[in-house]
Amino acid sequence: MNDTEQLVKEALGKLAERTPHPGPTLNALRRKRKRHGNVFMIAVAGVAAVAVLIFAGVIASDRYMPPNGNDAAAALMPDSGQSVVLKYAPHWLPNGYVENFRLVDREVHRVWVPAAAKGYPFTDGGPQVALIVGGDQPEGADWQDTTVRGLKAKIALRQGQSPGQTAELVWQAQDLLKVSVRGFADVRQVALQVAESVRADAKITHQAPFKVDGKPADHTWGTKPGEWEAMANWKNQVSVHVSPQVPQVGTYVGDVGVRGKVGFRTANAVLVREGDVWIWATAESYSDQLVEAVNKVELVPSPDTSWIGKGLG
Amino acid sequence: MTPSFDDFVAEQVTPLLRYATVLTCDPHLAQDVVQEVLLRAQQKWDRIGSVDLPHAYVKRMVTNEYLSWRRRRAAKDVALCMTTLESVTPPVGDKTHHYDEREAMLQRIAKLPRKQRAAIVLRYYENYEDSEIAQMLGCAEGTVRSHISRALATLRLDHTPEPAGVGLRLGEGLS
Repeated sequence: MNDTEQLVKEALGKLAERTPHPGPTLNALRRKRKRHGNVFMIAVAGVAAVAVLIFAGVIASDRYMPPNGNDAAAALMPDSGQSVVLKYAPHWLPNGYVENFRLVDREVHRVWVPAAAKGYPFTDGGPQVALIVGGDQPEGADWQDTTVRGLKAKIALRQGQSPGQTAELVWQAQDLLKVSVRGFADVRQVALQVAESVRADAKITHQAPFKVDGKPADHTWGTKPGEWEAMANWKNQVSVHVSPQVPQVGTYVGDVGVRGKVGFRTANAVLVREGDVWIWATAESYSDQLVEAVNKVELVPSPDTSWIGKGLG
Repeated sequence: MTPSFDDFVAEQVTPLLRYATVLTCDPHLAQDVVQEVLLRAQQKWDRIGSVDLPHAYVKRMVTNEYLSWRRRRAAKDVALCMTTLESVTPPVGDKTHHYDEREAMLQRIAKLPRKQRAAIVLRYYENYEDSEIAQMLGCAEGTVRSHISRALATLRLDHTPEPAGVGLRLGEGLS
């Protein structure tokens, strides 16, 4: 390999360091999939789909408490700055399962894991039960018909990254609901049992621990009320985080003025302590955008994290 | 066993974004390309998920999508590329001569014709053989060698190293 070829190789390696964070792509993909699903429903199912929805609505109205207009508006506008109504909750979970993750965006995800589990629920492939409100319509040939509380439902068993199978169960109540279960010998049975226990509940709300540039943090997770982390994406380039724990963001490079205090910077992060929490921003590499993002964080005083590490009892 | 689409995305979205970023020189365009490809892949996942190497198939979709994007956006190609790069990762003063050379080389790579650039990325970033590049680009191996040879000639011709100690900002020379 000559000098030019070596330089090309190094330059391309340098360019690869600018790879954007996958979060915005995943979010955009999720939104687009949802839109495509809707278009598909309208174009292909047409009148039949409307009839099914009316039928589902009539049946559901007997079984679910309809959320009032304010609840619906809050749920549909999570960036309104108010607490968001989560709208649904399971009333049965496997023994010892506690909630440790919420995603509140255009969809709502709630995840329960064994009480001893640590950390972010999606990284280790461990056992979990998830309830998703507003997901995608089932597509593909591997879905089997079933019922949930008398409503038509579809279930699929898939092999994912976790050791055993994952069951995905989808049904249309007043919203499209999905239960996902992994880490059990009979994931299908557990999924059906969780789904049968799901009820509408307008009293369960979620408040993001912070906002950045007016947008509430959409991810919150933790192991107990005092050990949590919340995250938001800013301008599709910067991940902004708040947590009471000291973050692991690399090696100290120098001081930086942020939020009227002396903060710290690393090769690709800026962090500062404020009150009981750390606020930090990370990106592919250091830039003034990191300081700007941290400066735009509005903390919620005494955020409600009592749900973290809590089961049904 | 066919992996689920969601598992595939969870595992492959970052490698695909990295590949698309190198291919396009534009993180925003890379996001658009990967989103578009994954959306299409999801709709055909029954078929794609059952092929031997789904990630290779989707990577080829990314390459094709990039080439089609470039056809549509060729007029503002280089300007967008370097401006966007600066907005994402502002140039940081680095006094080392070697760093400057890499940045200057990036500018030259960004100006290559699209198929030449794809061939260069597949050879020097992905370490593909001629036959693999030919399969990815849908052309003959001789055409691949021609693309790479012409690209290297251009890059060598333009290769006029800055004197040591002069900080070259990414994007300079394009305006």
